[in-house]
Amino acid sequence: MVYYITTLLVYAGVDAIACLGLSQQFGVGGVTNFGFIIFQAAGAYVAGALSLPSDHVDGGFQSYIFGWHLPFPIPWIGATVVGGLLAIPFALIVGKRLRGDFAAIGLLVTAVMFNLLVTNYVPLFNGAAGLSLVPSPLQGSFNPQSTGYQWGYGIIAILVAFATYLFVTRITESPYGRSLRAMRDNDTVADSLGKNVRSLRTSSLIIGGAIAGLSGGVLVGFINLWDPQAWGYAETVVLFAAVIIGGLGNHRGAMLGAVLVPVAFEEATRYIPPVSGNPNLIPALQWVAIGLLILVFLWFRPQGILPERRRKLATRFASEPGTEPGALQSPPSDFAAPVTSPSSVGVIETEVENETIGAGAADGDADTAPATTDVILECRDLVREFDGVRAVDGVSMAFKRGCLTGIIGPNGAGKSTVLAMLAGTLPSTSGEILFRGEDVTRLPAFRRARMGLVRTFQLASEFKRLTVLENLLAAIPDQQGDTFLGALRGRRRWGAQERELIDSAQAMLEQFGLLGLADLYAGDLSGGQRRLVEIMRALMAQPEVLLLDEPMAGVHPRLAHDIGMQLVRLCQEGTTIVMVEHELSIMDEFCDPVYVLAEGRVLAQGAMAALRAKEEVVEAYLVG
Amino acid sequence: MSVFIASIGFGLVTAAVLALASVGFTLQFAVTNVLNLAYGGVMIVAAYAAYALNERGVNIWISAPAAVLIGAVLSVLLNNLIYTPFGRRGTTPIAMVIVALGMTLILEFGTQALAGPTNVSYIMSQGATVKLGSIELTVVQLVIIGLSIVVMILVHGLIRYTRLGKAMRATAANRNLARNCGIRTDRVITVTWLISGALCGLAGLTFAMNSGTFGATSTDIFLVLILAAVFLGGPGQPYGAMLGALVIGLATEVSASIIVSDYKDVAAFVILLAMLTIRPTGLLGARA
Amino acid sequence: MSADMEIGVPDLPAGSVQGVELSTVDLTVGYDGSPVIHGVSINVAPREVVSIVGPNGSGKSTLLKAIVGVLEPLGGSIRVGGRDVTGWRSENIARIGVGYVPQIDDVFAPLTVRENLEMGGYLLKTREVAPRIDHVMSVFPQLSRMAGRRAGKLSGGERKMLAMGRALMLAPALVVLDEPTANLAPIVAAAVLQQHVRQLAATGASVLVVEQRARAVLEISDRTYVLGGGQVRMEGTPAELATSSEFVDSFLGGTSRSGL
Repeated sequence: MVYYITTLLVYAGVDAIACLGLSQQFGVGGVTNFGFIIFQAAGAYVAGALSLPSDHVDGGFQSYIFGWHLPFPIPWIGATVVGGLLAIPFALIVGKRLRGDFAAIGLLVTAVMFNLLVTNYVPLFNGAAGLSLVPSPLQGSFNPQSTGYQWGYGIIAILVAFATYLFVTRITESPYGRSLRAMRDNDTVADSLGKNVRSLRTSSLIIGGAIAGLSGGVLVGFINLWDPQAWGYAETVVLFAAVIIGGLGNHRGAMLGAVLVPVAFEEATRYIPPVSGNPNLIPALQWVAIGLLILVFLWFRPQGILPERRRKLATRFASEPGTEPGALQSPPSDFAAPVTSPSSVGVIETEVENETIGAGAADGDADTAPATTDVILECRDLVREFDGVRAVDGVSMAFKRGCLTGIIGPNGAGKSTVLAMLAGTLPSTSGEILFRGEDVTRLPAFRRARMGLVRTFQLASEFKRLTVLENLLAAIPDQQGDTFLGALRGRRRWGAQERELIDSAQAMLEQFGLLGLADLYAGDLSGGQRRLVEIMRALMAQPEVLLLDEPMAGVHPRLAHDIGMQLVRLCQEGTTIVMVEHELSIMDEFCDPVYVLAEGRVLAQGAMAALRAKEEVVEAYLVG
Repeated sequence: MSVFIASIGFGLVTAAVLALASVGFTLQFAVTNVLNLAYGGVMIVAAYAAYALNERGVNIWISAPAAVLIGAVLSVLLNNLIYTPFGRRGTTPIAMVIVALGMTLILEFGTQALAGPTNVSYIMSQGATVKLGSIELTVVQLVIIGLSIVVMILVHGLIRYTRLGKAMRATAANRNLARNCGIRTDRVITVTWLISGALCGLAGLTFAMNSGTFGATSTDIFLVLILAAVFLGGPGQPYGAMLGALVIGLATEVSASIIVSDYKDVAAFVILLAMLTIRPTGLLGARA
Repeated sequence: MSADMEIGVPDLPAGSVQGVELSTVDLTVGYDGSPVIHGVSINVAPREVVSIVGPNGSGKSTLLKAIVGVLEPLGGSIRVGGRDVTGWRSENIARIGVGYVPQIDDVFAPLTVRENLEMGGYLLKTREVAPRIDHVMSVFPQLSRMAGRRAGKLSGGERKMLAMGRALMLAPALVVLDEPTANLAPIVAAAVLQQHVRQLAATGASVLVVEQRARAVLEISDRTYVLGGGQVRMEGTPAELATSSEFVDSFLGGTSRSGL
């Protein structure tokens, strides 16, 4: 009976450790690694190989597997390290832009392939027979069969599981964890906001791999053998099922799933009496039952038993009313104010004209900062060719600091493509892009973002499973907790700065009138609100140059006007804005100068009024 | 050298079985955009269905329609009871993979629970061995190749020349728009699953015939070969699947004659991974 | 008129199309049980061109999707040509002569222009297809020049034209268009509305068009509904609406100087 309980404890601990690794990698980092079991297997093999002595009475295969007979805890450490190292080649495959389910089968197939190779290639780890008579830790000093040792092992397994839980929780509940979740929700956008997605993904794989390796090491020390049967594709399915059933994105859920699925499940069917004539019935039915469990859970409760918790940061760190807002000082906006209808259309247009004059060159108003006329961003002979088609055919533009420049043009003119190349989210075929005089043409998007060149996207691109406040916080650069080491050092290290950043994010929300939505999931907002969150988030990235891709698309004219006013204010304060738009009225009101693109080339540029006078522009494009 | 040529013969038989399976898989993927990873499970259930009759004394060729029928019916049930409902709930693609794998567990181990863990074989004669140069194939193997060729021609005719084929292409390209053209897409989808399922059943039967002995989990590795063939030709491209089946079938058998036969399937694995990394739309698919 | 937007002389098919009437009564439609539009009653008389305008989120697209059978209404009824089609599936609604030009995913991208038209004529007898394609190409001559091109490679304006041509294949008695000028440049948009939509009307069909560009679509409409917050706010002829200050304020105030 005792052995039964202690075995249960060890399995619970090992499965919990493995599931925590998967939870961190998959639930938080969004990395779907269906080859996960390979890491556990590698850890077990390495721990086994490191602890085996050179000579053994049983056969002689151990002679080529090191035979170092290393003492505890080195095998466990080795298992963890190798699990982590093995992740690096995987990082090369996983990063590809592949459809989720295609990538999944690719990795699953990799796991099956490795299993096949190890099964057949005997010199590696003794093939199908595997490693046996693996020494238990400290078996020189203690009797592994004794009750005390068994209990000790069980308790240590549980303790290691808890230590792992604390470790992954510390990583997840930090700014670094927030960046991981942002990457999970939308990696392209995370990239454009300055997150080094490749490095985040690689580290997720390494952390998950190391933890899986550790679980393998702990297990092999207890059961003293390890062969390819223990890590087939079915075991992979069980681990994923455990994490999903327990709750994706919630580490407690992962532990719960580990206990429920592999452990309790196996134990529950133990009590069904065997059917004579068909001794394999129970094990086969166990698998059927796991399959059913997966379907039932994914149907009735896909978020898992313990779903990912919403982080209510605003409620926790509620800013007091009347707090001085952060960097942006401006009168309260009227986004949330009741609609006031102007007496006539003309009045609004006049007000707007005044604003337009103030936005660009230093003219008139003493309040506006003297706008410099140096060029902060430019492109020369930019070309984008794909599939034989030149979407952009030699575009040269120069954007002056502090100006609100517009880019218009008919469909297919290449406007969004140019914007994407300027931001770095699309590579250019040829040409140069200079930011603050430096050549950034080959720089990836996240580096440009860190330099201050940030873009927004046309289609909905909020981080859906982050709250509105978290969306904004995720964009802020240079956070102390936003590195692995920073996260590891804990709240003591980054807590104070986090509180300040929350204050400034809330101030931004208040300015746009959306403070009440701070703790809601960004994915739950209306279209117009999400559009605002996108703009606010880009602003939190502290851009010097902001590239907006059709920010007013589908937005009510009144709201568009208000957004325009905000943008003008930003330019007055020194930000440079480049805006691609279809609505010419917005160009009229806010932008100066305006570039007209057609068929991949610059057709004309200048003030909107002047452009309307140009015949070729009117020909190509304008009406009325 | 003669071993090499003989392996080409075996490669053709494998390719024949693979073609039946891959074309069925890819047709259904084209129309529904769902990777039916339970396909291997349905194959083996169909193979056992024929076995159930065969072990009671029915000739295997007369039992064959049982496999085709079971494959078709089971596939439609799979779609109507599992994939479509889960799809309607907005299940993510990853979760759908897990659903399909869960169904595989249920199908394969359910079969094992009923039929027992030991491998079985059809009670049939493989027929005389026919020699074509260095290629030696049994009559049964030649029949499998012939059957596969006939089915491929029928599939080609279906897609190109029938109204149903047209409706399938429209549904695959843009389901909502197809409905606006008056096409009853629900029916098209059901019929596609029937056809795909029938091909799956036939593939299961011929797989079992060609394998000699088989068990409930025998198709696990074969599914990887199917995926390799499908992705080589391009997911959703029926002619691509035919091409892919030929290449994979030959590659695995021929490599078995060159390197140790234990690793023959590795060629397929490597090709699949290469396609997924380099060109997921396949050789015949449009560039992404 | 720009050089590349020619229109053929409108050619009524032998036995011109009899435009049917459409009416919705108290229609409530939404997603996941929560309504986006409630109690909406509109009608389109035979051969009328009716437009629906309104701010984003007012439910215009949702209304159209219910009419063509993409969404099932939560309440109310829809009648086409006197027949109750409430809750009918879209393939059946297409079969009684309702043509639909959706806002996005409006063509079969991997198929050629000609194949798109063939699919549009799926319900026709085989011998009727080729002459019908010829007719549609006479209405949109540019299509004949692109007959072998893949639909996915066309420009925005060309795709919209193909989408309309595809809808025309069945000589629909009612054509429903969802924001046909979305994402099109102003000059192309003007052509689409003033020329192509007028072409559809010229075949004799009734036309229901939803648009963001209120001023532009008013010019081609017989009547217009204004939708706001999921309900019908106003209704009238373009002349009536243009003089209503309420209409002007909610749509045209402070934005358009360019006329669109």
